Amino acid sequence: MQKKRYIPIASLILLLGLVWMLLTPITFPGVQAGSSQAAHQGFHAPDFTLLTPEGQAVTLSDFTGKPVLVFLWASWCTVCKATLPGLEPVYQEYAPQGFEILAVNMTTQDTAASAISYFQTQGYSFPMLLDPDGEVAQQYQMHALPTSVLIGPDGVVQKVVIGAGMNGGELRAWLDEVLTNGQGE
Amino acid sequence: MFPVIDLGPLALQAAGLLLILSIWLGLLLTGKFATHLGTNGDVIENGILYGFLSGILAARIGFLLTHPSIFMENPLSIVSLTPSMLDVNFGILAGVLVVLITYQRKHLPLWPTLDTLSPLFILAYGGFQLANLADGNAYGLPAELPWSVYLWNANRHPVQIYALILTVGLLIWWLGKTRLTKQNGFYHSGILFSVTVAGLAVITLFTQAFAAEKHLLLGVDQIQLLALVLLAGNLFVIYKLGIEKPKKVMVCISMGSNLEPLDNLYNGSQSIAAQFKILNRSGIYQTKDLREGHQDRHYLNRVLQIETALSYPDLITKLKEIEQAHGREPGNKEIVPLDLDALTYGKQVFCNQGRQIPEPGILENGYMLLPLAETRPEFRHPATGESIAELIAKLPPDEKDIRKIEEVKDGTEG
Repeated sequence: MQKKRYIPIASLILLLGLVWMLLTPITFPGVQAGSSQAAHQGFHAPDFTLLTPEGQAVTLSDFTGKPVLVFLWASWCTVCKATLPGLEPVYQEYAPQGFEILAVNMTTQDTAASAISYFQTQGYSFPMLLDPDGEVAQQYQMHALPTSVLIGPDGVVQKVVIGAGMNGGELRAWLDEVLTNGQGE
Repeated sequence: MFPVIDLGPLALQAAGLLLILSIWLGLLLTGKFATHLGTNGDVIENGILYGFLSGILAARIGFLLTHPSIFMENPLSIVSLTPSMLDVNFGILAGVLVVLITYQRKHLPLWPTLDTLSPLFILAYGGFQLANLADGNAYGLPAELPWSVYLWNANRHPVQIYALILTVGLLIWWLGKTRLTKQNGFYHSGILFSVTVAGLAVITLFTQAFAAEKHLLLGVDQIQLLALVLLAGNLFVIYKLGIEKPKKVMVCISMGSNLEPLDNLYNGSQSIAAQFKILNRSGIYQTKDLREGHQDRHYLNRVLQIETALSYPDLITKLKEIEQAHGREPGNKEIVPLDLDALTYGKQVFCNQGRQIPEPGILENGYMLLPLAETRPEFRHPATGESIAELIAKLPPDEKDIRKIEEVKDGTEG
């Protein structure tokens, strides 16, 4: 292509790009996610109230001001059972600082009996909640187990991990950041 | 959104899988392309693989270095197979560094290598969009359109799908331009790469407008700003590499004759000198014509190093004119009064319309390589970066059996 043709064409392309970029904040302004609820990074964590096996009601929004891990699991899920033991020592260490783990059992895919029996045998010190209607499973878009949802003190979802990616090390790293800056990695 | 793919007892992370598949496909295309261009496909592919593996390792080590207490508690976490405890930014940095170092050590030429990698860039970008689609990341602004998707409690622009459609369009353009990897499509190395990246920048600049999450810098979206800068940079590079009036290009021409060769070589040199500036010439080398029934004919060959401002197609036309002026009959392969082949054209690497530069014969023919070695001992192959010594070592043994019959004194007489 000749220089004579190229320079005007290239300049036009750049000009159009510049105009598009400058107009974008006006015609397509970004939307703050924290205003709406969804189980995804940046959104407000959907609130729920579930019962412990003992019948005690636990509401997520009660824990505002503290970092929370909502852990969706089932007693037949091998990866869940491999992950949970690693969470216990972290819980013990950080609970005094306000950290909470809510182990929500997907009771629609499990039986309350097996879930309770497993949890008690392992002797975990964090609360287990039952989700017999699948309310949390649906709100939190549960595709596979385990699903770990890390929620900051402001109630905003900071990270969602599906599968084996949540372990003691990852959790500690997140907690260290959150408790210092309010915002994890 | 489909974060997980269920295969019986296994639940695979769709995002990671899609990204890996796209990169694998990109490497496949890169390999094919390298074969046709003549660039060093093995080194290029291996470099990417080393970079990928180093990146993962560095991401793990980087994470543990910033969280030493975790490592102290459980030293085995360094080899943990779970996709966690990874410092992604550090990993990418390390991976790119390893690729650069690998290429540098092998003296890979910059623009031809980038051209070769251009399909990988397109496919990796597409893979990234697919990964976002799978995880529901980089989601779009709420909008009520016939093609909106319901995600995160709202009907939205399917931004990742916009980007995917445009990326597929770019891939189709690329495949067409290169005739399915068989040619470069341009006469200057680096232009294919620059146009590819400019295309990806335009796609990003356009689609990012519809993204919900925006991070503003000086009042504009950061990603759009980066895309615009990248676009401008590449448009400038395209100008510099291919549009700007070329400075003189250095060309190595192989001259051969098997009919009254000494006279024809001399006259041929004169004709060349009349049209171009001759920088250097080699001595004259004799090869046997090994074809059936022609063993009594000898070829004499030499290499001339010239300077020209002609484009490659114009140069080829000129050389043909000179051949025919010395009596060459097109189609007559038996009697060749004068044969002129362009071995190199500056540092360019391309393969268009059946013509390949650098001339592939350099790698196989002693009568091309040895005189070239004499005129340019510091020569590095424009496509692979190999030195003269490395190229000669790879010649088939009987190709080295060539007699030099006339010395050249101070490169100006012969």
